[in-house]
Amino acid sequence: MDAMSANDLDCVLDGNAAAGLLQEIFVLEITAAQIQCDACGFAGAVGSLRLYAAPMGAVLRCPHCEATLMRALHTPHGRWLEMRGTRCLRF
Amino acid sequence: MTEIETIAAPARRLEWQAVEVREIIVETFRVKSLLLHAPRWQGHLPGQHVDIRLTAEDGYQAQRSYSIASPPEDDLLALTVEKVDDGEVSPYLVDDLRAGDRFELRGPIGGYFVWTVATPGPLSLIAGGSGIAPLMTMLRHRARRNVRNPALLLYSSRSLEDVIYREELDAMARGDPHLRVVHTLTRKQPEGWTGHRRRIDRELLAEASFPPEQAPKIFVCGPTSLVEAAASLLVDLGHDPLEIKTERFGPSGWTP
Repeated sequence: MDAMSANDLDCVLDGNAAAGLLQEIFVLEITAAQIQCDACGFAGAVGSLRLYAAPMGAVLRCPHCEATLMRALHTPHGRWLEMRGTRCLRF
Repeated sequence: MTEIETIAAPARRLEWQAVEVREIIVETFRVKSLLLHAPRWQGHLPGQHVDIRLTAEDGYQAQRSYSIASPPEDDLLALTVEKVDDGEVSPYLVDDLRAGDRFELRGPIGGYFVWTVATPGPLSLIAGGSGIAPLMTMLRHRARRNVRNPALLLYSSRSLEDVIYREELDAMARGDPHLRVVHTLTRKQPEGWTGHRRRIDRELLAEASFPPEQAPKIFVCGPTSLVEAAASLLVDLGHDPLEIKTERFGPSGWTP
């Protein structure tokens, strides 16, 4: 995931825009799922997160405290999903 | 959690499918709507989007997301595309594509930025430029189902010539006393224009939109600057941040 340093994050969107990328991984609809931030306890829809779009993937941050909740990367060698900052997801 | 859970059906596996262009509608001098025949389409909800993928002869692929502009009730799937001059995909879609051409798409995608007639309460839609597309789907869906919940569209365009779906919106508003369409033209106004002529600001939002006590469902779609300004002003005005759903324009170059 080192490829996604802050310098690569060239634009900010809504979590909803990552739906296509994330839906390649999740079976249930992901943007309406409730996600909870481990750092501040914020809970809201994945579609309401702040999305920082990078060339090969996306970083989704908490709209309340800016903690990183999800990092998703789509490379020729596979899909990566890191969710260290997330306490839970509820579908 | 109420309506979101009831309408967000489990996603099907996202698979690419070939679609055929049946008709092309010129909306403005830089915007066209593509009406597509998608034989394997299984329906969608107003506000959802699709990914489209173009493949060059040498195998190079480019992928972009577009909001669906047609309501679930229509047979053909409509995408409204604005030409971005230095774009990789939109110039092809707007200038080169012809009826009978085919390309690939997958969808519907996204269950968050979604409104259906089953959602209670007033509907407040705020659009900038081609951000009107997913909101128009909601209005078309509402019209097809003859639903009479109070609805508002506050629509910011550069000039009257840039207003997408102008005639259809006029006709919709004329035939529906519960729908209000408020235009603001930010750069150029026709002679005799009596409407608004400035960017969406606090006063315009306070005047046009439903008061927070009515708990409207709010959808904002457009360029990032408009979306962020409108969303924070709405929160200032007392609206519940959880009832304000935003969709910023994707950048022309993002290909996840």
